[in-house]
Amino acid sequence: MSGFGGVLPWARRTIVEQEKWLTPEEFSAMLGICQIVPGPNIVNLAVCVGSRFAGVSGALAAVLGLTLGPVALVILLGMLYEHYSYMPMVQGMLRGISAVGVGLIASTGFKMMRSELNYPPMLVVILFTVLAASYFQLGLGWVVLMASPLAFFLARKKANR
Amino acid sequence: MISTLASLFLKLSAFSLVAFGGINALLPALYDLSVNQEHWINTQTFADYFAIAQAAPGPNLMTVTLIGWNVGGILGAVIATIAIAWPSSIMIFFLQRTILNLRDKKKQQVIQYAAGALAVGLVLAAAWGIAVQINHSFAAHLLTIGTIAITFFTRWHPLYLIVIGGVLGVLGFI
Repeated sequence: MSGFGGVLPWARRTIVEQEKWLTPEEFSAMLGICQIVPGPNIVNLAVCVGSRFAGVSGALAAVLGLTLGPVALVILLGMLYEHYSYMPMVQGMLRGISAVGVGLIASTGFKMMRSELNYPPMLVVILFTVLAASYFQLGLGWVVLMASPLAFFLARKKANR
Repeated sequence: MISTLASLFLKLSAFSLVAFGGINALLPALYDLSVNQEHWINTQTFADYFAIAQAAPGPNLMTVTLIGWNVGGILGAVIATIAIAWPSSIMIFFLQRTILNLRDKKKQQVIQYAAGALAVGLVLAAAWGIAVQINHSFAAHLLTIGTIAITFFTRWHPLYLIVIGGVLGVLGFI
C-alpha cells in the first residue's frame, strides 16, 4: 500500500534490507527475470519471492497481499472520479498527472536502454520493435513474434563476445 | 453482462503472456481493446484512469483494474485484475527455477538479453503510443518531455513529479 510511484523500491527495501529474506544478489537475479518475462513485473516478483518460501500458497499469499489493498483503494478512487470528474479542476489535475505518467514510462524505457548501449547491434531489435508497434501499428503478439528471432540471434552473439 | 465479463477475462488473459516489459508495454494494446474495439470507455476516461493508477499507491496494473470496474463493477475489477496476472504468474512460477538454475550461464544470458531488448522496445513504443492518445496540448507534451529530462538529470522521487503535474493541471496550464 505504501507503493507510491511504483512498488519496486519499497519491495527491495523490505525484502532485502529489513527482513533479509534474500541477499541483494538473489534479489537482483530474481528481479532481472521478473522484469523480462511477460506480465505485470511486480506480480511476477511476488510469485518468485512467495514461492521461494512457501511454494504455491506462498506465491498466492504474496500476490494477494500485494494487490488487495491497492485494488480496494483504486475502486474507491474510481467512485470518487465518477462523482467529481465533471469539475474542470479535477480534469486539469488528471491531464497533468497523465502527462507526467507517460514521461515516467518513457524514462523507464530509456533507463532500460542504457544497458543495451554496450552492445549497439541490439538497438536494431529495439528500433524494429518500436517501428512495428508504433508506425505499423501491429498488435503486441505479432510484434513479439516477429522481433523474437532477431532478438535471440543477436542475444546469442552478444553472449558469445 | 456475463458475455462482456467473459470477453474481458479472455482478452486480458491473452495479453498477460505477451506483455514483455510489464503493464507499461501493454497500455497501447489495452487502449485499443477498451476504446477502439469494445467501446467500454472513451479516450478521456482511459487517460483519466491511467492518471489515477499512476497517482495511487500500488502496482501500475491498476489501470486494468479500473477498466474492469467500469465494465462490471467490483466483480469486473477483480476479474480484470486476476485475468491480467494469472497466466504470467503461472508461467513465472515454473520458469524461475529453470532459468535461475540453468547450468549453462550463457543460455541464461541469451534469454535475458533477448527478452530485455524486446522489453525496451515495447516500453518505448508504448510511451509513444500513449502520449499521442492522451496528450492533447502542446503544454502536455512539454510536461511529458520535461518529466523525462528531470528523471535523467535528478534523482527526484516520481511522486514529486506527479504532484507537480497535478498542480500544473489544476492551475489550468495543461
